Amino acid sequence: MGLKDVVKKAAFVDILRGMSVTGTYFVVDKVTVEYPKEKLQTYPRFRGIHALITDPDTQDAKCVACMLCPTICPSQCIHVVGEETPDGRSHAKEFDLDLARCIFCGLCEEVCPVAAIVMTRFYEGSTYDKRDFLLDKKALMANQVYAHKEVFVEKPEATGAAKEEGR
Amino acid sequence: MSADPHTDTHGAAVDTHGHDSHGHDAHGNGCAPAGPKRPTTEELIARKAATRQEIEPGADLMTISIGPQHPSTHGVYRIVLDLDGEIIVDGRPEVGNLHRGIEKLCENRTYHQIVPLTDRLDYIASFAMNHGFCEAAEKLMGLEVPDRGRYIRTIAHELARLSNHILWLGIHVMDLGTQTFFCICFRDREYILDLWEMLCGARLTHSFARIGGVAKDLPDGFEYRCRKVMEFLPKRVAEYERIVKNNRIYYKRAKGVGVFTAEDCYAWRVTGPPLRSAGIARDLRKDEPYAAYGEVDFDVAVEYNADVYDRFLVRMKEIRESCKIILQCLDQMPDGDFISKDAGHVLPRKSEVMRQSGAMIQDFNQVFRGPQAPKGEVYRAIEVPKGEMGVYIRSEGGGKPARVRFTTPSFYHGQALPALAKGEMIADMVAIFASIDVVLGDCDR
Repeated sequence: MGLKDVVKKAAFVDILRGMSVTGTYFVVDKVTVEYPKEKLQTYPRFRGIHALITDPDTQDAKCVACMLCPTICPSQCIHVVGEETPDGRSHAKEFDLDLARCIFCGLCEEVCPVAAIVMTRFYEGSTYDKRDFLLDKKALMANQVYAHKEVFVEKPEATGAAKEEGR
Repeated sequence: MSADPHTDTHGAAVDTHGHDSHGHDAHGNGCAPAGPKRPTTEELIARKAATRQEIEPGADLMTISIGPQHPSTHGVYRIVLDLDGEIIVDGRPEVGNLHRGIEKLCENRTYHQIVPLTDRLDYIASFAMNHGFCEAAEKLMGLEVPDRGRYIRTIAHELARLSNHILWLGIHVMDLGTQTFFCICFRDREYILDLWEMLCGARLTHSFARIGGVAKDLPDGFEYRCRKVMEFLPKRVAEYERIVKNNRIYYKRAKGVGVFTAEDCYAWRVTGPPLRSAGIARDLRKDEPYAAYGEVDFDVAVEYNADVYDRFLVRMKEIRESCKIILQCLDQMPDGDFISKDAGHVLPRKSEVMRQSGAMIQDFNQVFRGPQAPKGEVYRAIEVPKGEMGVYIRSEGGGKPARVRFTTPSFYHGQALPALAKGEMIADMVAIFASIDVVLGDCDR
């Protein structure tokens, strides 16, 4: 060990160099978000809790009970019972989704041929009651207020770049 | 990197200082030239013998159990250690506490449904696992991924590697006693996770790869943000090195600890950064290029001292190389499809399903029957952040595999811990275990 190294070691050069980095963070802007008080906006593709979209013509869910989502679901958390309405439409009589089983992979949204089931920007699903994890058709339709705006756009490809200015 | 001063010292008692003036090696050029200071295998073995304490025969051993609920085991890993004083004589790892039977679950799922399950293997770098499975399934079905799909996969895979290595660094250094540095690493990982959220909607379990391509195209504004992050990350790595690399506490706890030579790595099937830190430039991205790795220019990070400190250096180099790869992919990004148009094997695009009846039929076909794979078996290995991951699929035709087997790096790294830690002090076991980067979801499956 040369004299230079001894001096460096005695002067704590290595520690001071590291401390100079951490020291600069006293003065730069904070990146922390104080979560319950302020919230981050999610990106348009965020996969939050599901929603069923209402068809404006019939005021029923868009779902036609084609059984694609319960079939593709890897954790088998969706339960759909279809029936025919008096006016000849096929619709979902029951649509239950068990959030406690769901792994939020987004396959149900991806395969839905009528864009009825979507994943929303809502992510604060914690609850004191386990039964709240079982979403029925009514609860899922109520969730659509959280849906990303782009699912309401007529053409699926016409999603504007403006939405990318999320945060 | 030949100017690294620590390579010219022998034995365990190495000098902490003297490499402050070598700041120019911060932008490591990957493959170090075979300089005269590179240690030979004999030297490494001698060094290993020097660090490891002599164990008296017939000593009174104490057996202690570490884990499964120990913070430094990074999950539910348990190791039963035989100690002579503070020296580790032997150890028996115990895995399986996180076993979820994913391989069995794969047997009654279609190939599309297996992709989200592979997220749960290595949940720190889930895309790498998705990618490995999809590469294997495509090899089985003989699918070609379009150029754009391959480039997006490469970007995504490198993002996974970045988030894995940055998280690893924070946890590894926290195990050795820092707190602030962990927060710094988590702050930087957050930028990567934001990119992930923008790209696929999830921050941890991405499920982004699909058979034949990727789930979605790059969103608007992604390229701009990704470039920004990739341009400042190397600066952040320089900061990490400023804090950690020369720090005398980290240096003394990492240098010369847990030496594992290339022969040991081969014997225990240890791959990835631990193998590359032993001087073997094995990287499947380079050796058997997949995705777009054959078309981008990058170096394999190699170090030669095979200890905890060099595994840190290898990973820091890999972060820089990943940034380079992503920037090149963004530059060279071709136009075209992000997923194959093969109607028999891939899920159709959502916009087409809603308009074209053919795509709708394809959608129903894929969901109910799955991609129709031929009879046969394939093995495909790719380089995931932790090492080499292999996927074996045996198919008897139809939409579901008959057997899926994942050979994941964490399992092999976890079993090698007793060999790595033999003769070391028990306090160093934490550093050694962290340096081989084990994730228990990956290990137990």
